[in-house]
Amino acid sequence: MNLVQQLINGIVLGHAYALIAVGWTVLLGVARLVNFGHGQIYMLAAFVTWWAVAGLGLPYPLAILVAMLAGVLIGLVMQAAMLRLTFRQDLVAIMIVTLGFGHMMRGIAGLVFGGQPQVLETPLSYIDFEIAGAWVTAQDLAVILVSIAAFALLHFGLERGTLGRTARMVAEDPKLAQLAGINVSRVYFAVFAFEGAAVALAAALVAPRTPILTSIGFEEVIVTFVVVVLGGIGSVSGSYLAGLGLGVFTALFGGFVSPAYATTAAFGVLIVVLVLRPSGLALRAGGR
Amino acid sequence: MRSWPAPLAALVAAIVIFLLPGWLGGLHGAFTVIAILAVAAYGLDIVVSDLGEVSLAHTVFFAAGAYATGLLATRLGAGGWVTLAGALLAGLLIALALGIVTLALREFVFSLVTYAATVVAAAIAHNWNLLGGSDGVSGIPTLDLSAGPLRLTAVNDAQLWPLAFLLMLLTLYAVRQFRRSRLGAMAMMVHLNPRLATMSGIDVRRVRLQVFVLSAPFSAAAGWLYAYQRAYVGPDLFETYFLVLMLTAVVLVGRRRLFGPLLGTALVIGQERFLSFGGDINAIILGGALVVALALLPGGLDGLLRRVLARRAPPIPLSETRTATQS
Repeated sequence: MNLVQQLINGIVLGHAYALIAVGWTVLLGVARLVNFGHGQIYMLAAFVTWWAVAGLGLPYPLAILVAMLAGVLIGLVMQAAMLRLTFRQDLVAIMIVTLGFGHMMRGIAGLVFGGQPQVLETPLSYIDFEIAGAWVTAQDLAVILVSIAAFALLHFGLERGTLGRTARMVAEDPKLAQLAGINVSRVYFAVFAFEGAAVALAAALVAPRTPILTSIGFEEVIVTFVVVVLGGIGSVSGSYLAGLGLGVFTALFGGFVSPAYATTAAFGVLIVVLVLRPSGLALRAGGR
Repeated sequence: MRSWPAPLAALVAAIVIFLLPGWLGGLHGAFTVIAILAVAAYGLDIVVSDLGEVSLAHTVFFAAGAYATGLLATRLGAGGWVTLAGALLAGLLIALALGIVTLALREFVFSLVTYAATVVAAAIAHNWNLLGGSDGVSGIPTLDLSAGPLRLTAVNDAQLWPLAFLLMLLTLYAVRQFRRSRLGAMAMMVHLNPRLATMSGIDVRRVRLQVFVLSAPFSAAAGWLYAYQRAYVGPDLFETYFLVLMLTAVVLVGRRRLFGPLLGTALVIGQERFLSFGGDINAIILGGALVVALALLPGGLDGLLRRVLARRAPPIPLSETRTATQS
């Protein structure tokens, strides 16, 4: 394994991580909500993509849309169940409820898609490119491009636009926002629908790299935590950079130290950051 | 809070429950598992209900107790008392390390780090050969608690049940005493009003660390007995099943109810053992119970029951304070 190959792997992995975490970034930074069922939505969306391609015979781009639709649906159902807790800003209860949803989704996936590991083969993964002696597939390039597009869209849409201002006002003070004539529950639903769609998009693009099982999703959750915390909670550009950095770190660690402990090493990074600058992690509503 | 029933009534209830699995025709296995997992849930209960933080690392304490037991018993041939000490020590040390790291963290960041710790612990258990790797540790000998001339062994569920029952009684007593203790009162104050606690001269971080570390031995002791009950310890202990089970047990009946986690565990395990629909549907039921208990039933089943009773009976002013559930 040469260094260039690992660096390129890291860049691809980093964009995948950033894309996986983008839903959480918005959820937390914009609406001050959390979702511990994130990994299970990833898992379920990966299965839906596989099913749309292998079962329904849809072309891959359409399958991605189907998966995103499923993600939106899951997000809306979750938010509908938690609306009362959301209005109370009861983060502790929201955390536990989303964990419960995660467990349910695992059961549903087992019931619907069975316990067999599935491999999703996309047309893009057959196309190879050689860059400086290292190999990448078109699938990898798609991950990078979609990730950059998603972050650019968010950066200009949320941190600059009126939409983001509305959402941040809701996060800052839901009651005041309601008085100002904002339909608060619609904002909450929109944010959760976005979370579902974003993680489904990430799953549809990233999951073809690995076998799809009902037990996947945990690594993705840890990665998301690290990206969100490292990037400065709720910061869009921070999350992108954190995802990229973590991807390169994981690829180098996996390539040169131990692939089995890559997640553990990512957790180690999280701990170091938390111990070094705990004050930077105070939860600020509305991001920055 | 509910007033503690007269000691005599408690004694009678304890004896009835103790004899119940025999009367029901040898259900010792289910009762033992309920008692063990309830004890594990009480560790989490203290942190969730009294400290007001959601720890997602209590499966690690549970698994640490089980792993310490399995490794000491199979590799070193240690007896029941040594493995118990090892299990408690393992749980305490991990809780101390994790507690110090998360000292400054609150709310969801705390939960996030404890959850990450669980996932990492699972990765280590899967990959580290010293811990048996993916195969885990099998062939754990039967529990032997003989001391001096006293012979005490438990070779099957019927013989493990008295021990599990005793462990449960000890846990109930300890949790009750904790809630009446100075530390328990300080924990509630830190939970409900951290600023007031600080102004009253309470070292908030110290209380948080103390309660977190104190909660670990419960879950670790449960892991100790669970290792003997299953005769096998593996990375499956880190699965979300145990985490979701403990959380459901804590919130299903109602928070800060002494018997809440026990009843919650009994309901969940009872459904799985006697009304099972297969693993996948059971997972949906368990996850669904957790969602419903928190999202639709504020105050859990206990709160629901009270509201139903209050609607039927003429309104009697309830002297009860409900602050504890409004965390």
